[in-house]
Amino acid sequence: MRTIQDLRRDEKDTQSLRSRSGVIFFFLLILIISGVFKILQLTILDRVNYETESEKNRIINIPIYPARGLIKLEDGTLIAENIVTKDLYIKTKLYETSIDQVEQLNDKVLDENRKITQLQVPIQDEEKIWLARNLSEQELAKYEVQKNSIPNIQLEAKLRRYLPHKNLFSHVIGHLGLINMDERLSLSRAEYPDDSFIGKVGLEKSYEKTLRGKAGISLMEVDVYGNKIREINRVLPDKPFNLTLTLDLRLQKIAQEELANRRGAVVALDPKTGFIKALVSSPDYNPNILNGSESGSSVSKSSMENSPFFNRAISGLYPPASTIKPFIGLLGLEEKLITESTIVEDKGFFQLKEEGRKYRGWKEDGHGKVDLKKAIVESSDVYFYELASKLTIDRISSFLLRFGFGEISGIDLINESKSILPTRNWKLGNIGEAWFVGDTINIGIGQGYISSTPLQLAVSLSAIANRGKIFQPKLIRNNQLDDYEPDLLMEVQIENPRHWNIIEKSMISVINSWNGTAHNLYEEGGITIAGKTGTAQIKSLTDQDLTVREEYEGIRKDIENRDHALFASYGPVPDPNLVVVVIVENGESGSAVAAPIAKRLIEQYQININES
Amino acid sequence: MSNRNPLDYSINKPLVTSFNPFRYLFKDITLVLALIAVLLFGLAMLYSSSGQSFSMVIRQSIYVFVGLIMMIFISHLKPDSYKNILMHSYWIGLLLLIYVLFNPAEGYTTSRWIDIGFFQFQPSEVIRLILPLSIVAYLHRKESKIRLEDWLYTTLAALMCSYLVFEQPDLGTSIIVFTSGIIPIYLAGLPYRVIAAYLGMLAIVSPFIWSSLLDYQKQRVLTYFDSNVDPLGDGWNIAQSQTAIGSGGFFGKGYLEGTQSQLNFIPESHSDFIFSVIGEEFGLMGITCLFLVYAMIIWRIFKIGLSAQSAFERLACCSLGFIFLLFILINVSMVIGIIPVVGVPLPLISQGGTSIVVHLLAFGVILSAKRPQL
Repeated sequence: MRTIQDLRRDEKDTQSLRSRSGVIFFFLLILIISGVFKILQLTILDRVNYETESEKNRIINIPIYPARGLIKLEDGTLIAENIVTKDLYIKTKLYETSIDQVEQLNDKVLDENRKITQLQVPIQDEEKIWLARNLSEQELAKYEVQKNSIPNIQLEAKLRRYLPHKNLFSHVIGHLGLINMDERLSLSRAEYPDDSFIGKVGLEKSYEKTLRGKAGISLMEVDVYGNKIREINRVLPDKPFNLTLTLDLRLQKIAQEELANRRGAVVALDPKTGFIKALVSSPDYNPNILNGSESGSSVSKSSMENSPFFNRAISGLYPPASTIKPFIGLLGLEEKLITESTIVEDKGFFQLKEEGRKYRGWKEDGHGKVDLKKAIVESSDVYFYELASKLTIDRISSFLLRFGFGEISGIDLINESKSILPTRNWKLGNIGEAWFVGDTINIGIGQGYISSTPLQLAVSLSAIANRGKIFQPKLIRNNQLDDYEPDLLMEVQIENPRHWNIIEKSMISVINSWNGTAHNLYEEGGITIAGKTGTAQIKSLTDQDLTVREEYEGIRKDIENRDHALFASYGPVPDPNLVVVVIVENGESGSAVAAPIAKRLIEQYQININES
Repeated sequence: MSNRNPLDYSINKPLVTSFNPFRYLFKDITLVLALIAVLLFGLAMLYSSSGQSFSMVIRQSIYVFVGLIMMIFISHLKPDSYKNILMHSYWIGLLLLIYVLFNPAEGYTTSRWIDIGFFQFQPSEVIRLILPLSIVAYLHRKESKIRLEDWLYTTLAALMCSYLVFEQPDLGTSIIVFTSGIIPIYLAGLPYRVIAAYLGMLAIVSPFIWSSLLDYQKQRVLTYFDSNVDPLGDGWNIAQSQTAIGSGGFFGKGYLEGTQSQLNFIPESHSDFIFSVIGEEFGLMGITCLFLVYAMIIWRIFKIGLSAQSAFERLACCSLGFIFLLFILINVSMVIGIIPVVGVPLPLISQGGTSIVVHLLAFGVILSAKRPQL
């Protein structure tokens, strides 16, 4: 039974419970209020920040790199493509501890010809050491068998640049290499991650942007562990452009074959368009090794000392030697200092004044009575010594400049050297001396301070072949259309266009006349070629007391001192379609060594044209 | 009564029509419906936060079902009939806490879990509700006034449990266990002079307590002050959970659309951190709705408690009401980053069978305080 007392006590009890509940609730209220504020802050005030944070958490951008653009010939022959290579590597930090595995790889997987002979000390700052590149099918099969016993050696598949013709186009296409510190500075990591390959020389470098294309982006949703969940969006990469080379495969092959085991360069171009048809520098190298698509050594042992990476065709500076004579002769005609029939007595040397220095010609006894044609055909030095001394350096250099001497041609390759066309100021600035008449006399036979690159010589010569028009030399066709409009680089205007013919006739006679320096090329009923031989002296004949022959014999003993053989030519006349310049270093005789190469190229080109 | 005309509808009719089987069975329909609503919502959230694991939801629903049956069963018992059992269940709790220290389940760095073959549970989760209920039952085991030594015994009982949990070691839970023990003691009328004596003692021993804390426990306390202190530890967890709630905004990202939770950026998203999944997927709106239902549950608890007949019932209801509120507040505060990380699940929602069943048992006790209404 509940009594009044019970009820009173209940009442009191409840009262106490209520008030004590109030106290507890007050404490909890602090938590409630701060919680409410925090939740409002999170969801209302800072919502945008947290939304960004949450997106940043889950979305990563993965760049998609397009396959590098292909390089083809006009007929579609692939010159540079991308192949999947399978390479074996070992992590640098594991190398020390797994030399036995490398040895096992050596013994059981790799082919005979690419054994890792010396286990080179790893370079510390590289993450991976490449043990073998571009495994063959057989090696791959062997690797699959051995895989488990050599766990530290791993396989990586990659798209790499591959040139099916290997060395043939090395100085045109160039090669790729890992991005270096200097390139890093100007390129973003998004476009070029640290392990990306970038064009280093050749067309690979000058057309890097076009060939690489623009990377796309894949927006990928990831979870906390970085696992890819799904692709949210994808921006496809800009497809890189394929390039079409102007080169002619057969000409290129002939040039390479002819220059094999020699140092030298061949440049062949179409004077009507400026398209380069052959560009070879020897020795060459195998770009595939540097591109990582082939294993082995990029240069042969014999070419190692002869700067195989140096592109002689566009960077090599040589005295133009006698090949400059047609230009000097043309200037003489233009300046009316000589006519076709002006005769000079060539006694084997030229003196400015009595008792002065003797400028000797290459033929000790001289050529006798020499007119312009004979001077070019027999390459009389004395004739041009005299002509040059009358022309003065100012007229010579301003005239040669119009042909592109002393300029770069602007071909689409990097590292083109600027040829040297000396003037009075040039000598003052570069040598620190005043200009002497003697200097001019040397220029008259293409010696002395003047120098040309094979490419520049070909460009300049195309002006004669083309009656003044010089087209921009190019390796890449801008479009595939047949009605391609060539870029006019410059046009040499002369007062009397008949002078072109005089010079050309003389150059044809260099081959066709019995006394021509390149008469060895002559063939009854063959293609008419206009050309000029040249023999660039490395050591000048300065000793007054020795005869030319005696002094020459002394110099000849050392191969390095032998003259460079030059031949500058074009054909067929009339309507020439190929200008060819050949330089063979220390080849001595332009006619014997250089000229036959040019002839083969011009003849082959006619066959190619008739075929297509 | 015997002279009532059986045909007198004016008397019989209300009696007949007022009988509602649901009201009889559930006693407080509002409370039970609110509970079921929260439980169902919890199952839905569990599906979302567990990486859409159907088996985990099934498992949890079995506990929910068993818990509800037990709740209804207890709610129909007379408090006097189970008061003794409640009082002695303290010893079971204590034994479990001692047992777990010596026979912890394998695979954990701390001794918190007991493995009994088909499932694992944390005794500390049981003791959190057993302790206050046994204290209430002890204090009101007789009708007579509570004696001074009763205050001491109950305080010691709470301290004992708290210490055993601390030994696991689990600082946060040990504080919570103690708090859930002290709430009923205080509500029962713990004299203020005793409180003053306790506080005096605390001031003397607290330096010793701090120096005995383990490094990681100190770390947990320090994390509270700076969430950037350890980017991949607790601070990182909190930052991720805040990001989830914040990015949910007002309307949320939608059910199963929460990127933070679906991509596993939220740690323990199905258990202690499930609140951040709710925030991310349903936004401020969802949080508010959940809080309103919780508020309704707490309001019903106090309503039942303050109108109950016996002191035991009143004290039990009010204590459980506060403890329920306290667990919600601690869990939410931890998830939003205003208090350090402690292992308290969100009541009735977080994954964990023990927690659900024990909570529903407590609700059974609360419901039993309500007189049956005919």
